[in-house]
Amino acid sequence: MADARIQIAPQVKRGDSFEVKIAIRHAMETGYRVDDVGKPIKRNVIRALVCKYNGTEALRVDMSSGFAANPLLQFWLVAGNSGEISFEWDDDAGTRYAERAAVTVAG
Amino acid sequence: MAPRPFSRLHRTACARPAFARLLATLALAALPAHADLLPAQISADSVPRPLTATPGDAAHGRALLLARENANCILCHAIPEARFSGNLAPPLDGVGARLSAAQLRLRVADNRQVHPSTIMPSYFRSEGLTGVAAQYRGKTVLTAQEVEDVVAYLQTLK
Amino acid sequence: MARGAAVSLAVARIGAALLAVACAVPATLAYAQSSTTRVIPLDQLKSGLAYTGEDVRALQADDFANPGMLWVERGEKIWNTPAGADGKSCASCHGDAKSSMKGVAARYPAIDAKSKQLLNIEARINASRSGDQKAPAFAPESEDMLAITAYVNMQSRGVPVGVSIDGAAREHFERGRAFYYTRRGQMNMSCATCHEQNFGKRLFAETISQGQPNDFPIYRLEWQTMGSLHRRLRACLYGVRAELLPVGSPELLDVELFLAWRAQGLKGEAPAVRR
Ligand code: HEC
Ligand code: HEC
Ligand code: HEC
Repeated sequence: MADARIQIAPQVKRGDSFEVKIAIRHAMETGYRVDDVGKPIKRNVIRALVCKYNGTEALRVDMSSGFAANPLLQFWLVAGNSGEISFEWDDDAGTRYAERAAVTVAG
Repeated sequence: MAPRPFSRLHRTACARPAFARLLATLALAALPAHADLLPAQISADSVPRPLTATPGDAAHGRALLLARENANCILCHAIPEARFSGNLAPPLDGVGARLSAAQLRLRVADNRQVHPSTIMPSYFRSEGLTGVAAQYRGKTVLTAQEVEDVVAYLQTLK
Repeated sequence: MARGAAVSLAVARIGAALLAVACAVPATLAYAQSSTTRVIPLDQLKSGLAYTGEDVRALQADDFANPGMLWVERGEKIWNTPAGADGKSCASCHGDAKSSMKGVAARYPAIDAKSKQLLNIEARINASRSGDQKAPAFAPESEDMLAITAYVNMQSRGVPVGVSIDGAAREHFERGRAFYYTRRGQMNMSCATCHEQNFGKRLFAETISQGQPNDFPIYRLEWQTMGSLHRRLRACLYGVRAELLPVGSPELLDVELFLAWRAQGLKGEAPAVRR
């Protein structure tokens, strides 16, 4: 439930680069911490995150415990056709996540 | 919690002839448990006699001043060559020249006896406190020996 | 020598008795005369934001980068999701939170008309969750509890804090105030020691603020997650080596009321970001 938020400009021009931002709610548990009673907390970080633009892989990030909790990624893409930007990622616990946003290209 | 009829301080402070020690034990047994510095140890604004027989270790004292989980004096005081420190209290630079070992001892052990409304914790006092977490109840922040170590370090700050 | 020791110990015993008497005096010297005298005048109140760094201020101001907004968004989904026996969502009864919840958090803690208890916003949400929606209450400090409070409290952004300390609230206020000014823990410090006598100064590397409650829940970088006001208060109690009171305990509720009274007029800023 609401594991990520994506931000893209409402409209972009063909050939222009546009910024994509994604904020993900994830503890990025390093496996080095202990809970209140001193029990080690199991490692659970996002492994890989893939961003596709109209089905074509545009970005792949291999993540590790070096990332802070609730990571925010921002990057630029070049506008082609209208369509969608989709994200998929999974973590050590084996949970798979997906989130998408529409992109409208003018011109 | 292990019963502690009186703290290490009382034992060492009275550890002279056997007879005196016996008397001391009897007398102290009547005191409230965990009384810390005894009023008799305080003279004006100082504690003239060391709390332990072992002289303080200045290097260990400095480590204590910096230790996050212990004395943590740098929460409030700057000390020479510490990278970070708080500024709730005057820097301790030169304090060894301003104050004698006896005066430093009382300030570290129980600064409330010098400045009743001070915000500085009393490091050798376990009585008269409210709502102390169970694991610290009846215990002083520093042991008598640690107070001596801290005092030894402060004396080097001339 | 032996005699000397005995004499000084006799003195010691009297001294110790005096000491015990001195200790019985409540350690609440910093009290103002009347219980509603303000130590920090209303026109000098500042939210904790003023005492954090530029980086934290920028993070909080950016509604996308502010990690707290992830909880707000989750809270919005909870608001609109049917739950409970009758399959109703918060929205089914309360409509658009932007109008129905505007300014609500700013009035809490408050005495609940039905139960006559002092409730903070978390407890009020849960009362409605179980009483009206007939769904299981949110567990204290759970992700869902933090999310729904972040969402509800955000609707009071810009609304001045204004709680009532009249009637049945008064005794809670007095108890909260007494707690606030009592030195506690092995470090023997009161809330006022740091947040009224020393705000603006540095405790090790952290700048002490006035300890205002107008911006909770907060995303704290040290926690790497969201936390309630009570979690923050527990961190302060831990720091002075005092007994940790549970989230939602009556003592913390009373302090929360005192804090809210003390913050009168400060505008809501949830969800805030803190170091
Ligand atoms: C919570 C803040 C705080 C902490 C922690 C603290 N102090 Fe202090 N200390 C003060 C303040 C404030 C003063 C100034 C006098 C006063 O108000 O008591 C002071 C005064 C002193 C003085 C007297 C300085 C002078 O020039 O007269 C000494 C010595 C001292 N502190 C040593 C220590 C040592 C050693 C530690 C750690 C074991 C320590 N303090 C921890 C706040 C603190
Ligand atoms: C030893 C000093 C100290 C004491 C004592 C202390 N606090 Fe704090 N408190 C801090 C520090 C440091 C922070 C984090 C920085 C800040 O916001 O002030 C903090 C944060 C807070 C905040 C959050 C402020 C914000 O804007 O995020 C509140 C509220 C608060 N304290 C209330 C209390 C209450 C109530 C008590 C008494 C039960 C108390 N504090 C005791 C040092 C202290
Ligand atoms: C079945 C209808 C119903 C549902 C579902 C419901 N509530 Fe309520 N809620 C009420 C009623 C009735 C009141 C009391 C009337 C009032 O004071 O406005 C109330 C009061 C409240 C209040 C206090 C308002 C104030 O002005 O003090 C809050 C906060 C609240 N609800 C939050 C929620 C949240 C969050 C949810 C979903 C998790 C929810 N409610 C679900 C009916 C409902």
